[in-house]
Amino acid sequence: MTSKQKSEGVNRREFLSTATVGVAAAALSKPALAQQAGEETDAQMAAVAPPSAAAEAMENDPPAGYSAQEAGEYFVKHPGSDFMVDVLKDLDLEYITTNPGSSFRGLHESIVNYGGNSQPELLTCPHEEQAIAMAHGFAKAAGGKPIGVLVHGTVGLQHASMAMYNAWCDRVPMVVLGGNHFDATERRTGVEWSHSAQDAARVVRDFTKWDDAPQSLQHFSESMARAYKIATTPPMGPTVVIIDGHLQEAEMEGAAPTIPGVSPTQPPRGDGGALTEAARWLVEAESPVIVVDLMARDQDGVDRLIELAEALQAPVVNQSGRMNFPNNHYLSQGAGVVAQADVILGLELYDTWGTLNRLRDRVHRDEQRIARPDALVIDIGVKDLFIKSNYQNFQRYNASDLSIAGDAQATLPSLTEEVRQQMSRSRRAGNSEREQRWRTAHAQAHARDLDAARYGWGASPVSTARLYMELWQLVKERDWALVSDDSQQSRWARRLWTIDRHYQHIGRSGGAGLGYGAPSAVGAALAHRVEGRLSINVQRDGDLMYVPGVFWTAAHHRIPMLTVTHNNRGYHQEFMHLQRMAARRQRGIDGSSHVGNELNNPAPDFAKITAGMGVWSEGPITDPNNIRAALVRALDVVDQGEPALVDVVCQPR
Amino acid sequence: MKQKLSPSVRALSILGLALCSSLSFAQNNDQGADEGRALFTANQCWQCHGHEGQGGAAVRIAPTLYPFVAFAQFVRHPNLMPAYSPNVLSDEQLRQIWEFVRNVPEPPALEDISELSGS
Repeated sequence: MTSKQKSEGVNRREFLSTATVGVAAAALSKPALAQQAGEETDAQMAAVAPPSAAAEAMENDPPAGYSAQEAGEYFVKHPGSDFMVDVLKDLDLEYITTNPGSSFRGLHESIVNYGGNSQPELLTCPHEEQAIAMAHGFAKAAGGKPIGVLVHGTVGLQHASMAMYNAWCDRVPMVVLGGNHFDATERRTGVEWSHSAQDAARVVRDFTKWDDAPQSLQHFSESMARAYKIATTPPMGPTVVIIDGHLQEAEMEGAAPTIPGVSPTQPPRGDGGALTEAARWLVEAESPVIVVDLMARDQDGVDRLIELAEALQAPVVNQSGRMNFPNNHYLSQGAGVVAQADVILGLELYDTWGTLNRLRDRVHRDEQRIARPDALVIDIGVKDLFIKSNYQNFQRYNASDLSIAGDAQATLPSLTEEVRQQMSRSRRAGNSEREQRWRTAHAQAHARDLDAARYGWGASPVSTARLYMELWQLVKERDWALVSDDSQQSRWARRLWTIDRHYQHIGRSGGAGLGYGAPSAVGAALAHRVEGRLSINVQRDGDLMYVPGVFWTAAHHRIPMLTVTHNNRGYHQEFMHLQRMAARRQRGIDGSSHVGNELNNPAPDFAKITAGMGVWSEGPITDPNNIRAALVRALDVVDQGEPALVDVVCQPR
Repeated sequence: MKQKLSPSVRALSILGLALCSSLSFAQNNDQGADEGRALFTANQCWQCHGHEGQGGAAVRIAPTLYPFVAFAQFVRHPNLMPAYSPNVLSDEQLRQIWEFVRNVPEPPALEDISELSGS
């Protein structure tokens, strides 16, 4: 659609015919093939036929047998939600995850019939928490490109709220649409009242960047553009637009609303003078260290960080909120190097204070400084640019020596250029010695990790190191992406696998709220599907129990993904917390640690659960020697474009 | 006045004491290992250290190279893990756990695990 068309109003009939022809052309080929094969496909089930002559007439004339007055009472020619679909298409939202609801039935119908269920395509989710987490995973795997989520503004947003908090903490964009009925006199009795709110977005306002409740279609159009723009401007985060039921369902009246389009906001970059000073500190430092967390949005961020690190020959500690730095690069080092640093450069740190200090978990929580007391700290990031008061995910205050407000990825080229300009010949000559030192340290650390993986190699329950290395043998030659976080499995992927592309590790959940893992993995796998990439999800059992319905979504929408459970039969972190409390109170833990913590007696049968969702599955496997063959069978299924799950009973971590 | 030792001096003292005293404890070797595994399991040591003491949320402790005195010091006066007092875990029980973790067999050598030796 051209901007001229937008400014003149939406030629919706023309758009409808174009969109429908496109969808019909795409949909017709598969059914034709399927008919030859004598089978019915999902595409066939979802195909939207082009409008018939009768349908065209319905749009323009009163249906046969109805007076004009009756037609006006019964039928709507141009519902407002059709225009809403035009807006969604203009924003290029590829998908909308949703759990269906009456408060947005108008938009639902428009997406399916007017929009052809394409760009956006609706993805059915049995729970709103799942819908949000899928959008979370998708955006991280798609380089920060958001998708939409469609929920009830009341009961839906309340279900969605935990997952939205994760996205907020993780600085991940998404545009959430919430249905509502504003006009009390227009609400049907009963549910429409229960599903309406005076201020629907209030429930999630503490952890969203922006929300609005548009009162007209023009208002909707502009608010959606603003919601998209704000969500994708660093620091990124979820935004919410509440959509009125009447606005969706009523006939469009008056002048056609226009679509303003989105002009992307360039990420803020750090101040030039401050970067000059930062570069001076880094160049003059004896032991500079770079610590990075929520930084790289894509491979460009990784490549820019390699340039800076190599220019300085400074080690990089990747706290892995994102895949920021290749783990096979010799400058990739463990967190211990922070203790040696005289200058520490923090890039988009989630927790600067916690990087430099430790608070021991004792009755009296004493602080221990990890960094040198005289270490200079430079903080580059966007966290000071947008912060809210209530939820405390902003972490403890740290008085850094130089705080630079700016998107770190966008700022890195300028900083690296400053470093190169200030690098004297003698300083540059010292780089080779530093390089050798870090190469040696990196090799030693890798050798230690390999050695550590030996212990418990033949154990049952299966060691998590063994689990990851069995997987690695089968995927290392392929184009793969780990769509789960390995923090709860002793970081074995990051310690033993070669992770050198941004998309190969998805990072953390943000708010550490359970229920994120499985759906975010499916969302990421959806983003990887178009690339033909193998998505691997090492799935924690406790997390799987939150929204197991996401496996049905994966099967229904044919989202290929290999899931291997890290099944330790409980909420393991909480086992340890209970132990700590019992030890502190000198009551002992013998015989009581399972209470409230175990997922056992009966043990959930994840193979059966997911098989019931239509997913190929196998397990539980307790003998490590049986893992490889099961994984081979599962990969055969995934290679056919379907999800598969192998349940493995594992060591706690 | 009681003088506070630095952590490094304290650790050296413990190890020195431990090296002397370990000679006598070595006689017990695996007598308590079976009881030790039961105590290791019942007291949930494996939650942090793994069923075989291979490590996980906390460090690897098996097969331990530490003599009993050092091992006991880590359990009674730890830096990060919760302290297990004699009211919860007697000295005898602690010794049996130590017998277990020091008798956990060594895993295969790196070169004998193809998945690791090729990485």
